[in-house]
Amino acid sequence: MSRRLQLILCAAGALVVATVASGATTETGVTPSQILIGGTTPLSGPASAYQSVAKGAAAYFRYVNAHGGVNKRKIKYIYKDDGYDPSKTVDKTRELVQQDKVFAVFNSLGTEQNLATRSYLNALKVPQLFAASGATTFGKDYKQYPWTIAYQPNYRAEGTIYGRYVAKTSPKARVGVLYQNDDYGKDLLAGLRNGLGKKAGLIKSKQSYDVTDPDVRSQIAKLKAARVNTLMVFATPQFAIQSYVYANHLGWRPKVYVNAVSSAANIMGLAAAGTSKKQIEGSISIVFLKDPTDAHWKNDPGSKLYRSIMKRFKGGNPNDVYAVYGMSVAHTFVAALKKAGKNPTRATIMKAATSLNIKNDPFLLPGMTVHTGKGDHFPLDQSKLQRYHNGHWVSFGGLFRVR
Amino acid sequence: MRRRTPGIGLWLVLAAVVLAAYVVAPRFVSDFHSRNLAEAGVFFIAIVGLNLLTGYTGQISLGHGGLMAIGGYTTAALVVHEHWRDVWTIPLAGVAAGLVGFLIGLPALRLSGLYLALATFAFAVAVPSLLKKFSGLTGGSQGLRLLESAPLQVTGLSGTVTVFGHSMTQNHFLYYLTWGIGLLAFVAAWLLVRGRFGRTLRAVRDSEVAAASAGIDLARTKTLAFALSGVYAGVAGSLLAIQSEIVNPLSFTFLLSILILVGTVVGGLGSLPGMVLGAFFVEYLPDISTHFSSAQGVPDFVYGAAIILVMLLLPTGAGGLLRRLARPLTSRLYLRP
Repeated sequence: MSRRLQLILCAAGALVVATVASGATTETGVTPSQILIGGTTPLSGPASAYQSVAKGAAAYFRYVNAHGGVNKRKIKYIYKDDGYDPSKTVDKTRELVQQDKVFAVFNSLGTEQNLATRSYLNALKVPQLFAASGATTFGKDYKQYPWTIAYQPNYRAEGTIYGRYVAKTSPKARVGVLYQNDDYGKDLLAGLRNGLGKKAGLIKSKQSYDVTDPDVRSQIAKLKAARVNTLMVFATPQFAIQSYVYANHLGWRPKVYVNAVSSAANIMGLAAAGTSKKQIEGSISIVFLKDPTDAHWKNDPGSKLYRSIMKRFKGGNPNDVYAVYGMSVAHTFVAALKKAGKNPTRATIMKAATSLNIKNDPFLLPGMTVHTGKGDHFPLDQSKLQRYHNGHWVSFGGLFRVR
Repeated sequence: MRRRTPGIGLWLVLAAVVLAAYVVAPRFVSDFHSRNLAEAGVFFIAIVGLNLLTGYTGQISLGHGGLMAIGGYTTAALVVHEHWRDVWTIPLAGVAAGLVGFLIGLPALRLSGLYLALATFAFAVAVPSLLKKFSGLTGGSQGLRLLESAPLQVTGLSGTVTVFGHSMTQNHFLYYLTWGIGLLAFVAAWLLVRGRFGRTLRAVRDSEVAAASAGIDLARTKTLAFALSGVYAGVAGSLLAIQSEIVNPLSFTFLLSILILVGTVVGGLGSLPGMVLGAFFVEYLPDISTHFSSAQGVPDFVYGAAIILVMLLLPTGAGGLLRRLARPLTSRLYLRP
């Protein structure tokens, strides 16, 4: 064998050893100076209002990076537009995993959207971290999908809170429900029934709509015709606003319970603009974040931190509560990352994400903890009731914990 | 003056160039990107189909997204419920959508122009709700997930696919599959429109009265054009389902129908080569428009503005532009006896 060939072979051998060695110590998407994560969000299309979630999270990561990152690594978070179309979510998620080679998929938004990628990510053992959906399946079916965990309080729990409150405070109500015809709407409805318990007969009418429907005019008319006086709006923002508007057209003023995904102050503002202050007054919802438009938090350090990050790191409209949600979920990711060790792997981050106990999240209501553990894969499971009064949400009562 | 016809040699050269481009294209892009090319191929097939109907027969359809849904759901249902191998469902998906295309072609016998557009639009709007209605078959709002329900029927699950002893990545496989079918579909469409049937279609487009007086059966021609166009849409939908391994009502909203029409118009009505450009336009514009700025509303605005600009600057679409650019060249290449 010629000397030259020998040299080449040796070099090739060394290269192989080097690659194998480096493969043993580092994880996909992790370098000594950076951690790459990514997710999908609707930047265009009918649900594009939710993009503030990704933007708030991105601003928080920029803030963490400006303060040195985590274990000297900067967090790079890329979010891709899926237009709220699940088949596009699949494509974009594949792109994140195969082309961008992310460490984990983080904060992808939507119930159907996260369901569409769940088996793919679990097959490849890529963490699907803190999915932005309240569908119970993400917290419940962890044995089948160990690489998936969601974040927000689940929809069933939310429905249960409303049900209990109605059963307690107005046991003679005639309840009507407007719900989205998918897992999300059905979860809320099931929770409501659960919360009403023996009083489930109070539900006099249930009307569903499809995301692809143009409006909910006929559903609202049917609910009015059923002489409902307590209206549950389990609908996304566009349809929630329509519910107020069409009820107003019909001269109907039921007591409205509006689900958390549509109760952001800017959405209530739009609903008020489309109807009247009176129509919105007294609406009830749940809250788990420090609403930036709530005067109560004006001097709160967490809320101040939020505003300064939004301003300095360009997070967008500071009055958007979805951005607060984004910051909270990013805060939780950072905590999990710290917990996952000096050289985090996909397995250690998953372990960290399922054994959280964070008590100091500045963006959540005081007293709330982000807790996961054995058999508990619901990071957030507390919330408060709030009532809309004089153009603002005002929270009342104590923190509920519901599973 | 005699009619100038291009020589057979020119066509052979063109065919060879297209075939070579088809074979080597994936080498110039990353492995993953060939998946995007495959997605563009889906639009290409649907656009070729719509072009037969709108460009050649003059029947506007805003319902092709719905026909794609029929194809996509046929594939998904066969894979998930009957455990068929995914690629073998493509012909059946085409047939199913062709039948539905025939049915929605029936109103076309009485309606024309705007009214036909509205009728087909109603079909596109109704399809997602209908899909949810029959949730036993279609999986309701969750749709059907091929990977979850029947992983063994998904081609390329292990990451590579072997075709005729030749091993390739799943992304390359999807590219070759989609564009292979696309090219065949294109050639079929081309052969159809240049013969007697094509003349019949064009006669109907240009004047129904004149066509009828020349002995053309209007009802037969129109419904046949709808059915044929439906087959194309069904095959496209089937390939879409195979690529994304999921079908969901949200993927087949009326927006998809509009996208296909936009691709057809941008490509140039009645022009076959422009349609490749139309397909790429539809595939890549959303990504490009989010690159400008992801601020709320900006991507949608850029998207709309780009379509309006193309319509103003290229009223005959990309096909018309290609023809104009190529005129000095082709007029020289034509044989002059």
